[in-house]
Amino acid sequence: MSTDYQYVPEPALVKGDHSFGSITDLIAKTPLSPTPKLWYLAFGLANILLITLLGAIGYLIWDGIGIWGLNNPAGWGWAIINFVWWVGIGHAGTLISAILFLFRQGWRTAINRFAEAMTIFAVMCAGIFPAIHVGRIWVIYWVFPIPNQMAAWPNFSSPLLWDVFAVSTYFTVSLLFWYVGLIPDFATLRDKTKSKVAKITYGIASLGWTGSFRNWWNYEKAYMILAGLATPLVLSVHTIVSFDFAVSVIPGWHSTIFPPYFVAGAIYSGFAMVLTLMLIARKIYGLEDIMNIDIMEKMNLVMMITGNLVAFAYLMEGFIAWYSGYIYEQGIFWLYVVGPYAWGFWILMFCNVVTPQFLWFKKIRRNVAITFVISIIVNIGMWFERFMISVASLSTDFMPSAWDYYSPTFWDIITYIGTFGLFFTFFLLFLRFMPMVAIAEVKGVMPQADPHNYDEETNEFDIEKTKPVVVQQEQTV
Amino acid sequence: MSKPKITDTLDFPSDLNITKSLFGVGTVGLLATGVGYFLDHDQFFFSYLVSFSFFSSIALGSLFFVMVQHLTRSEWSAVLRRIPETFSSYFWIWGLFIIPLLFGMHSLYHWTHADAVAADPVLQGKEPYLNTTFFIIRQVIYFALWSFLGYRLYSKSVEMDETGDWGLQTLLRRTSGPGLFFFAITLAFASFDWIMSLDPHWYSTIFGVYYFAMSFQGLFAVLILVIFFLWNNNLLTNTIQKSHIYDLGVQMFGFTVFYAYIAFSQFLLIYYANIPEETVWYLERLSGGYEYLAWFYLFGRFVIPFVILLPKGPKSKPKVVGSVAVLILVSHLVELYWLVMPVLNHHGFHLNWMTITSFIGLGGIFLGLFFYKFKQNKMVPINDPKLGDSLNKH
Repeated sequence: MSTDYQYVPEPALVKGDHSFGSITDLIAKTPLSPTPKLWYLAFGLANILLITLLGAIGYLIWDGIGIWGLNNPAGWGWAIINFVWWVGIGHAGTLISAILFLFRQGWRTAINRFAEAMTIFAVMCAGIFPAIHVGRIWVIYWVFPIPNQMAAWPNFSSPLLWDVFAVSTYFTVSLLFWYVGLIPDFATLRDKTKSKVAKITYGIASLGWTGSFRNWWNYEKAYMILAGLATPLVLSVHTIVSFDFAVSVIPGWHSTIFPPYFVAGAIYSGFAMVLTLMLIARKIYGLEDIMNIDIMEKMNLVMMITGNLVAFAYLMEGFIAWYSGYIYEQGIFWLYVVGPYAWGFWILMFCNVVTPQFLWFKKIRRNVAITFVISIIVNIGMWFERFMISVASLSTDFMPSAWDYYSPTFWDIITYIGTFGLFFTFFLLFLRFMPMVAIAEVKGVMPQADPHNYDEETNEFDIEKTKPVVVQQEQTV
Repeated sequence: MSKPKITDTLDFPSDLNITKSLFGVGTVGLLATGVGYFLDHDQFFFSYLVSFSFFSSIALGSLFFVMVQHLTRSEWSAVLRRIPETFSSYFWIWGLFIIPLLFGMHSLYHWTHADAVAADPVLQGKEPYLNTTFFIIRQVIYFALWSFLGYRLYSKSVEMDETGDWGLQTLLRRTSGPGLFFFAITLAFASFDWIMSLDPHWYSTIFGVYYFAMSFQGLFAVLILVIFFLWNNNLLTNTIQKSHIYDLGVQMFGFTVFYAYIAFSQFLLIYYANIPEETVWYLERLSGGYEYLAWFYLFGRFVIPFVILLPKGPKSKPKVVGSVAVLILVSHLVELYWLVMPVLNHHGFHLNWMTITSFIGLGGIFLGLFFYKFKQNKMVPINDPKLGDSLNKH
C-alpha cells in the first residue's frame, strides 16, 4: 500500500538560483526605479474612490446617519459589517508576522511585510466606521476616558469601549512591529539609492542602522518582544469584536463559541485578502521566486483549516440552537435558512462552507487562477457572514410585529466602496516606496544562511550540503 | 558537522516490569470502586465518569497532537512522537471502559428518566438527540473513529520503523487531514454527551472547544512527565533532549493560555448576558464549597503556570516544568470533578473516596495499556525522515 505514496522532501523556500545579492536587487528594484505609468493609473483610481469616501463621510456628518438604511429593529447595518470585515482582514497580517514567527515558520518571510502593511491599512479602514456611525462625530472623543468637567465617563463595562482600547492598541503595536521589521531594509535602500532625497529619507527612517552585531542583537530582541505582544493582541481584538455581539441576549448573537469562531473567521478572510493581493503583486513585480507556489499552497492550507473551523462553529451554533429548546434561538436559525435573508445565508454557506472544501485537493491549492477566485469568494463569504449576524439577527427579533426588512442605501454602498480607495491609496504608496518583502528575513531562511552549508575548509558555500541528509542509524546498546 | 546519531537504546527494557504493577494497581482500584457500587451506585457512576473523562482526554489530546505533527510536517517532535502515538493507539481497548457508564446512564443522566421527560417540554424537545439508544450508537461511532485513526497512525508509523518507507509519511498525512475534521466533530459531541448533558437544560456552543482545550493542555503535562519517567530510568536521555522539553514547555504555556481564553470566554459571556437558564449552571458550581475548586484550578492550571512559564529560563528546567505539569494535571482532574459532581451533590461539595479509587483504577489500566504497547516497538520512530532534524535540535 505504502508504495503508492511518494515521500516529498520539504522544498526550498526561495525558488530560482538566488544569492543574497540577487535577492536584495530583486526587492530593492521597485522602490529605487522610476514610477511606472500603470502605478499612476492605479493610484489615480484609488484616489477617486478615496475622495468618494471623504464625500460620503462629509455628507453623513452634514445630514446624519438617517442617510443609511438603518431602521428600527436593524440598528446596526453596513457600518458594523464593514468594521468587522476590515478588522478581520487585518488579522492575517499579524498572524503571519507574529504568530508564525513564534512558531518558527520560515515561509512567513515571503509574505510577512506585505501582510503587515495590509493589516495596518485594513485597520485604518475599519476604524472609520465605529467613529462615523455614532452620529455626532464631533464628540467622538468621549469614547476616551478623558477627565472632564461633566464628570462623564465612558461605560467601562461595555465591550464597545473595550473595542476602542483593543483596536487602538492593536493598531499601535502592529505599526511598531511593521516599522521595526522595516529598519534593516530601509538601511539597505539607503545604501543602494542614488537619489539624494531618497538617501536622506531612507536614512532617517533607518534610524542610523549600521548592521553591526549590536544593531542586530537589539533588533532581534525588539522583534521577539513585539511578536509576543502582538499575538495576544490580535486574538483579543476579534474576541472583543465578538463580545460586541455575544454579551447581549439577542438570539443569534448570544453564543459562547463566538470568540474563537470570530478569530478563526478573521484569519480566514485575512489570508484570502493576502492571497488576492499577493497573486497580483507577484506577477506585476516579478516576485514569483519568493512568493512562489509552495507559499501559496501553505496559505491555502491555512485557509482550508480556518474555513473548516468556521464551518465547525456554524455546526455547533446550528446544533445548539436546536438543542437549546429556546424558541427564539431556534426561530432565528430557522429564519436564517428560510426567512427574508435566506439568500444571504445560502451565499454564505456556499462561500464559507463549500468553497474551502475544494482546497482539500493539492492540484487546486497549487493552481494560481483557482486560488485567486477562491480568495475572492472567501472575502465575499466573510462579508456575508457579518451581514447575517448583524442584520438578519436584528431585523427579525423577538416580536414579528416589529420585524422590518433592512436594505442599504446608495450612501451605505459608496461608503463601503470608498474604503477600498483609502486602502489602495496607502497600499500603492507602500508598494511604490517600501521594500515589499522583508529582505533581511528572506535571506535568513535561504540555504546560504545556514552555517552548516559551508565547506569547513574552503569556507565556501556548498550547494551539495543543502540537500537533506539521510540519517544513518547507529545503535549502541 | 557530524551527522546525528542515536546513542540510546531504543527498546524498552524488558526488566523494567512496570506494566504488571500498573495493571495490578488498576485492578485493585477498580475492584475497590466496584465495592463502592453496592454502597452508593450513583456516586460510583459519577466518580467513574470523572476519571474516565480524565484519561480519555489524554488519549484524545494525543490523537490530536499526532495528527497535527503530521500535517505540519513537524521536525522538532519526531523523537517524542511515539509517546502520543502509543497513547492514542489503544482506543479500541479503552473504549470498552465506557461500558459501565452505559449501564449507569440512569444514574448519571436526568434525561433518561421517562417521567422527568414527560413532565418537561424542554427535555421532550431534545429527545431526538438525548435518548438512550442514540447515545449508545454515538459512543460506538466515536470510539470506532478514534480507534481507527489512533491505530492507523500508530501502526503505519511502526511500519516505517521496519520498512524505512518514507512514502508512509504521505499516507499518514492523508489520514490526518480528514481525521482532524472528523475528530473535531466527534470530540465536540462526545463532550456534549458525557458532560454537558448531565445538566440537560444547560447549553453552551463552546463546550466542545472547552473540553478540547482542557485535554490538550493536559496532554503536554502528561508528555513531559512520561519523558521524565523515561529519563529517570536512563532511557532516551540523549535522544529526547532539553531542547525538546523546552519546546514542550513552550507549547504547554501556549495551550495554558488557550485553555484560559476558552474557559474565560464561556464564563464571561454567560456571566455578562445573565440569562437565568445559563447562569444557574455556574451558580451551582460557584457555591456550596465548589467555588474553592474553581479557585484552585484557576490558579493551578492558569495563573501559576502562566507566571512560571512566561520567562524563557524555567521552560528548560526539568524540575520546574515537571512541577508545573503535575499542578496542571491535578487541576485538570479538579476541573472535571467540578464540572461533573455538582450534578450529583448539588447541595454542597464533599469528596467521596470512590473518585480517588476510580482515578487510581482507571489510571492504572490506562497507563498499564500505555506501557504494554510502548514496549512492543521502538520508543522512537527510527526511520522517520524528520528524525535527523529532530535529534539535531539545539
